[in-house]
Amino acid sequence: HPAGMEQPELGPQVRVTFTTTEADLQLDESKRQLLVPADIRRYGLSRILNSESMLDPENPIPFDFLVNGSFLQSSLEDYLKDNGLSLESNVTLQYVRSLIPPVFEASF
Amino acid sequence: VTHIAEARELRGFDESLQMWTDLQTKTQALSLSLTSQLRLILTPSQSTKLSGSFRTGKRLNIKKIIPYIASSYKRDKIWMRRAIPTKRAYQILLCVDDSSSMSPDNGGVGAAAGMALESLVMVTRALTMLEVGQIGVLGFGSDVFVAHDLTDPPLSSYEAGARIMQNFKFKQEGTDMVRLVRTTIDRFRDARLMQAGSSGSEDLWQLALILSDGLVQSRDHARLRPLLREALEQRVMVVFIIMDEPNRNPGAPGRGTGGSGSVLELKEARFGPDGIPVIHRYLDSFPFPYYLIVHHLEDLPGALAGLLRTWFAEVNS
Ligand SMILES: [Mg+2]
Repeated sequence: HPAGMEQPELGPQVRVTFTTTEADLQLDESKRQLLVPADIRRYGLSRILNSESMLDPENPIPFDFLVNGSFLQSSLEDYLKDNGLSLESNVTLQYVRSLIPPVFEASF
Repeated sequence: VTHIAEARELRGFDESLQMWTDLQTKTQALSLSLTSQLRLILTPSQSTKLSGSFRTGKRLNIKKIIPYIASSYKRDKIWMRRAIPTKRAYQILLCVDDSSSMSPDNGGVGAAAGMALESLVMVTRALTMLEVGQIGVLGFGSDVFVAHDLTDPPLSSYEAGARIMQNFKFKQEGTDMVRLVRTTIDRFRDARLMQAGSSGSEDLWQLALILSDGLVQSRDHARLRPLLREALEQRVMVVFIIMDEPNRNPGAPGRGTGGSGSVLELKEARFGPDGIPVIHRYLDSFPFPYYLIVHHLEDLPGALAGLLRTWFAEVNS
């Protein structure tokens, strides 16, 4: 293969469990456990939840994520590092409709 | 193998002795069941091969006919007989996942960790009762350690069991499956050479049983494939036993509220170059050709025996 054609090298992954208290946004039990790239941030997680195989809403819903009671503001990798956790952890992410106006979405 | 015994924190001996004793009692019936199932598979009672040179026998040895005629019918040991079954010797390594994903709530022993220890006790007891060969126990996580060497005395006492149990705390902060498989192949190569030096006539079989929650970084899946081919070429059989008891600990944090948590349901998300997430079933890229998913300990003896039976049938065909 020419270098540009090769599959991008896969990075480390973290196991997450999605939960929510919003009755209309529940995921099937079989969709709550997911391995995601460790460098993922709020925007990537939001895209996953909006994807066809997950919630698949009619119109995209921007999400925020609560981890241990506070909003996720860094990558998952940095969150783990800052809290002395390893990639072996299973991170519970509670998703809520984002309060950030959709216009800011592009900047993430 | 890096020996990091000094750095590794060991479980207290008395506590470990209690654990081993309790687990041995708890798994006694299953151990016996596994022993009787494995006896039929691992120790063949009849040889299918015809060999040797005898005056009478079952089939003519064609290579002996010309010398027979040339010797004016004096060299008349021209028959082959069914040979006495070759004695098989086994070297079996049980590799227990000591990484912290096995024990998610970190306090007590988590679901997969508990099941791995139960399986370890059950399987080592069964194999020890069979007296088929050498048994070793490795632990792995970010590193690999030896909890019981193949050349150590057989595991026939509670104290020997307790010394194994002391090693497993499920706190390693990584699951380096590539390192484990590499180490396993290397140790088996050394063990085969040592065995050949002592008793060359036996037919040696090497088997690695991995007891784990099955969570391997997906990027390692591709790196494992050539290693698993190498194991196959070295006649090392690797069986991956996934400990998957989803509802054992439903209230524990990190396991979702009522979510099943089973590795069978686990998905993975990757982002394509277009930034669109694609979601697959995690097990679809799992690289181990021989794997079992065990939801209840009671399933293990039958499942393991079935898989080994299939494998021996494939090897002998
Ligand atoms: Mg692990």
